[in-house]
Amino acid sequence: MLTYTFDWSIITSGKYFEWLLSGLIVTLKLSALSIVLAFILGLLIAVMRMSHNRVVRWIAHAYLEFFRNTPLLVQIFFWYFGSYKILPSVVNDWLNTNGFEFAAAATALTIYTSAFIAEDIRSGVLSIPKEQMEAARSAGFSYLRSMQYIILPQAVRITIPPLINQFLNLAKNSSLAMTIGVMEMTYQARQVESYTFKGFEAFTAATMVYLVLSIVITVLVNMYNEKVLNLHKAA
Amino acid sequence: MKKLLTMLMMAALVTVTVKAAVAADTLAEVKKKGVLVVGCKDSLPPFGYVDEKSRQIVGYDIDFVNAIAKKMGVKVELKPVTSASRMPQLQEGHIDIIAATMTKNADRAKVIDFSHTYFFTGQKFITKKGTVKSLKDLEGKRIGTAKGSTSEQNVKKALPTSTVLSYDDYPQAFLALQQGKVAAVTTDEAILAGILAKAPNKSQFEIPALQISDEPYGLGMRKGDTNFVNFVNKTILEMEKSGEAAKIFNKWFGPGTQFHLQRNFKIAADK
Repeated sequence: MLTYTFDWSIITSGKYFEWLLSGLIVTLKLSALSIVLAFILGLLIAVMRMSHNRVVRWIAHAYLEFFRNTPLLVQIFFWYFGSYKILPSVVNDWLNTNGFEFAAAATALTIYTSAFIAEDIRSGVLSIPKEQMEAARSAGFSYLRSMQYIILPQAVRITIPPLINQFLNLAKNSSLAMTIGVMEMTYQARQVESYTFKGFEAFTAATMVYLVLSIVITVLVNMYNEKVLNLHKAA
Repeated sequence: MKKLLTMLMMAALVTVTVKAAVAADTLAEVKKKGVLVVGCKDSLPPFGYVDEKSRQIVGYDIDFVNAIAKKMGVKVELKPVTSASRMPQLQEGHIDIIAATMTKNADRAKVIDFSHTYFFTGQKFITKKGTVKSLKDLEGKRIGTAKGSTSEQNVKKALPTSTVLSYDDYPQAFLALQQGKVAAVTTDEAILAGILAKAPNKSQFEIPALQISDEPYGLGMRKGDTNFVNFVNKTILEMEKSGEAAKIFNKWFGPGTQFHLQRNFKIAADK
């Protein structure tokens, strides 16, 4: 038997709507920034991981294992609370008055996700026959240039489906930022709940937003993918 | 687009159907199953926290529900809750009663029923020593508290220019204060006293005499659960009469403890 009556009026206009909207904007900013940075960093780590220099390879490996195998929540707390012990007090003071919550969350999300992205890209690169690298090198390309012009463009294309997964995970993981007071979507949904006790409506709305956000990311990356593939076919 | 709409509607349907009705007579039900499931705090001395030696949750709140359960002849099962999760947990039937430093207010009373006030305190601030003399010193500052608490709403009213940062629970808010991320942590005095008592460098902090609200605590029960509410009220009034309630207060807050609080209230029927 259902006894709950939905009251959507609370969150479709007025103060609580504005809260949820501002939460959505923060979630979008946090996700977009972290996705871009995580992709760049992941690419860099993947290249390092396949380097011929043993030290560089080892550093990348350690990075991967460390950030892939510790919980994201712990990493968020680490950047937010733990960095206090390492940084000089001048830096801490500046950070504390300039929205460190957002920066700490973005850092954690970026670094955590970059480790997964790096492994996805590496598996994409490994799927490119090594003769291509050899051909590129013998044609006079340096290792980095071979990667940049020949291997990575192909590898990234293969990597797109797993990359979508990482982007989606990141967008949803961004809700953990509320534990350190970043006022994103889930945080605002919870605020609406504690003010109105209409948590069911607020969280249903938040769920819908995450769903739409995920679908939008998937559609965007797939569109990009198709464009790239079509270019490839035309050439 | 059509596909997307269908998906959204399906998701909405799923979320609607998970909400099931909860039986209204908790008193009879608890007696039948032999266990009273209590939502309590587990990191908030001296109301509800994990005792270092016994590894059990103990505290002022816990002693009250233990007494109630004893009267009912049932066992107690403690379930840790947060300020934000306790009301949904109760409404969805995961717990039978909330004993988690919960302030009674009109908004909450629309959704759940409260017992008579079993603890009385007021909302104050904890700050670094000497930094705050009056409320003015906190204007425009960042102030930390816990999500879903009345503290958050009170401080927004008392200090509209301040930024309120809501952490998951009070220990994190206090850590943020230690690191200078917030200028003050605000909540009920008794909770602040508990935080201060446990702080490793307590001499650096203080609780200035600035009170921004009255905070009467009640035990929370489901709306319209009249039998159970009456039973709980009757029990705690008896505890007041027999002196047991005062004894529990002294055990956790009295002269022998780190808090040295005076009992400035008596459990009485609400008007």
